Amino acid sequence: MAVTAVEVVYRGIFQKSLSRNICRTIVLAARKEGKIGTAFGRYGDSPERNGIPAKYFAIVADDPTELEETLAAYEPKEVAVTIVVDDTLCKGVESWAWYGLQPINELTVEGGTVLVTSIQPEEDLVKDMHVKDVPYNLSIIKGAKSFSGLWVYKDDHTDVRILGALAKVCPNLVGLEAYVDTIAEQSDDELKAHSARRAYDRVSVSPVEPGQGNPEEPFSFDKPGWTKMGEAIVIPGIEVGGGFRGGEGGYQPVRNDVFKKFSTRTMRPVINFETCTKCTLCWLQCPDSCFDVTPEGLYDSDMESCCGCGVCEDVCPVPDCVTMVNEEVFDDNSSQHDHWKRDRDGYMKWLDEMIVVAKSEKEVGAGRSHGFREWGEYQKQIEMTGVAGDD
Amino acid sequence: MTLTSTLPMIRGVHNSPLEEYFTSGHRTCQGCESALVMKLMVKASGPRTIVLGSTGCMYVANTTYYSTPWVVPWMHTQLGSAGSAAVGTAAGLKALMNKNKIKDEPINIISFCGDGGGADMGLSAISAALTHMAYNHLILMYDNESYANTDIQVSGSSPWGANSTFSPPGKLHRIMNQRWKKNMAPMLAVGHPGVKYIATACASYAVDFMNKIRKGLKYSGPAFIHSYDPCPKGWDYDPMYSHELGMLAVEAGIWVQYEIEEGKLVLNGPSRMIAQGRRQRKPVVEFLKRQGRFAHFVDEDVDYYQSRIDEMWEKWWLPGVIPLFNEAGEPKG
Repeated sequence: MAVTAVEVVYRGIFQKSLSRNICRTIVLAARKEGKIGTAFGRYGDSPERNGIPAKYFAIVADDPTELEETLAAYEPKEVAVTIVVDDTLCKGVESWAWYGLQPINELTVEGGTVLVTSIQPEEDLVKDMHVKDVPYNLSIIKGAKSFSGLWVYKDDHTDVRILGALAKVCPNLVGLEAYVDTIAEQSDDELKAHSARRAYDRVSVSPVEPGQGNPEEPFSFDKPGWTKMGEAIVIPGIEVGGGFRGGEGGYQPVRNDVFKKFSTRTMRPVINFETCTKCTLCWLQCPDSCFDVTPEGLYDSDMESCCGCGVCEDVCPVPDCVTMVNEEVFDDNSSQHDHWKRDRDGYMKWLDEMIVVAKSEKEVGAGRSHGFREWGEYQKQIEMTGVAGDD
Repeated sequence: MTLTSTLPMIRGVHNSPLEEYFTSGHRTCQGCESALVMKLMVKASGPRTIVLGSTGCMYVANTTYYSTPWVVPWMHTQLGSAGSAAVGTAAGLKALMNKNKIKDEPINIISFCGDGGGADMGLSAISAALTHMAYNHLILMYDNESYANTDIQVSGSSPWGANSTFSPPGKLHRIMNQRWKKNMAPMLAVGHPGVKYIATACASYAVDFMNKIRKGLKYSGPAFIHSYDPCPKGWDYDPMYSHELGMLAVEAGIWVQYEIEEGKLVLNGPSRMIAQGRRQRKPVVEFLKRQGRFAHFVDEDVDYYQSRIDEMWEKWWLPGVIPLFNEAGEPKG
């Protein structure tokens, strides 16, 4: 008698098909072992938005009554495995429907596993994840994150590799052979079973002790509750902003302080304040109004509200003035303008390093993965680099 | 008579107002062009503005879970009632001003709807609102070419052939959305000759966009703006290209930028240069190939799409605006 739940934490829309494939295949494979299960996306994440963290669940039980009992709950309160398909989610997730930031390992049970696709070293991921007071395991499937979109799926074997690794870290959910049989039924590509087996053999597993990780308290807010809500559902508006950092010059908007959106970000803009021509375009075209206007007419991106869309990089007419850099290299949301004002030489040196990081990423494989760019591009990328983790 | 606003035209990006009245912290997609439309709309209209919003992405993403990015007053209205809400609010303010209950001053009323709420469900209410000349308001339809909020179903504004939840391409039938996009702005202009301002717009051209909002608010009576909004979720592209795709649609002649001011039609920006023969249209494939929603297209589909755009520019009575021909199938003008 047992019920086992796993969750996939993913980037909304970009990894929706990937997560659905993983959870559906878990349930289909469970049937082969005489078990029963269900796979579903979290209700509160719908309507899903590009990049905003979302969840898919798979629940497997020995018999239908047990499964029904579990489904009476809105969603699982604890999971044996938290599958993380983008490693920048390890910093915590602020999903669509919740106030505040949730640690990535919040639902992971004692002795359970956080399974991440990543090319980062283990210690960097542990540093990102919030501390837990019970021990758990961190498993890494080596590979870059797989992003696509709503209509065109990037079939780079990420789904089957995760299933193979899952059989290793959670054998009581579904065993490897059941996955391999199900994968063979779903696709003519014989290499997929091979990819699953290889991930089973290669996935790393290491313990994370209580107290290890990011000690910060994730931000949270008081939910008003229905007794405190205004008549006719009146939501307090935002105040109009004022001068930059409370001063006379420039402008800084007041922002929604209960939904910050930064955990949506997989890259952030870094700005060269010395080559900036003050053309205004990054500020004017930013859908999230995240640029503060400094008294000297420069634009400082507020890292609590930037969701990393990259429009600012695209509209900026000056080469390397706005550069999108992988979020994994940053540790906080501090102001770049403050840094530059405090220590110009230090900032410019840091900026050069960041630009090198961004450029080297573009050169690896066929560029950074942030959704669909052109017909046939995914096939070309897979031909160039092989399927994920192929070496 | 309620007064209309007298906001000056914005001359160049450096003269854009600094203040934001739609700020950060909305639950939209990365690179959401419609969120930019909201931001520029109220940046242009200023603090003395009331915004009314029909159900759609810009309602759900901006006011759920007891928080909001709106600085100006905002009210939700039902999916098909952008027009009714605009007239009702304008009439209410007018009555309060007539009774000296509030100061008689220009208050901008902007009612927005998506293409589902505007081109489909709300069309009759918008049409009715555009016949009430005594009430000042602006209706803005932000068109992301699908019911985007509920995960991309076909609307009357979806383009021919695009993939969607309701039109997935299959092995037997590749093109499932056989309908051509509705031509909203001219339909409303021709049918409602009393309206003093009707325009098409795209937030990729921010200053032009903000000035169109200001013009719409300047004229007494109702006004209508149809905004073309690239949607990274439904069109399936890297969110950083929202701005570029808006421009590309204009440069390929797929989206035509114009305003009809007191009955006079003027094409703007690249659309004007294309009409005057001073600029070549880019091939539509440049636009199509960058979106996953058209990834199932074969050459034949691209050629058909191109031929419809060519016809619009070469054969219509008014290029991009009025698709009338004489009996011989020749253009009238």
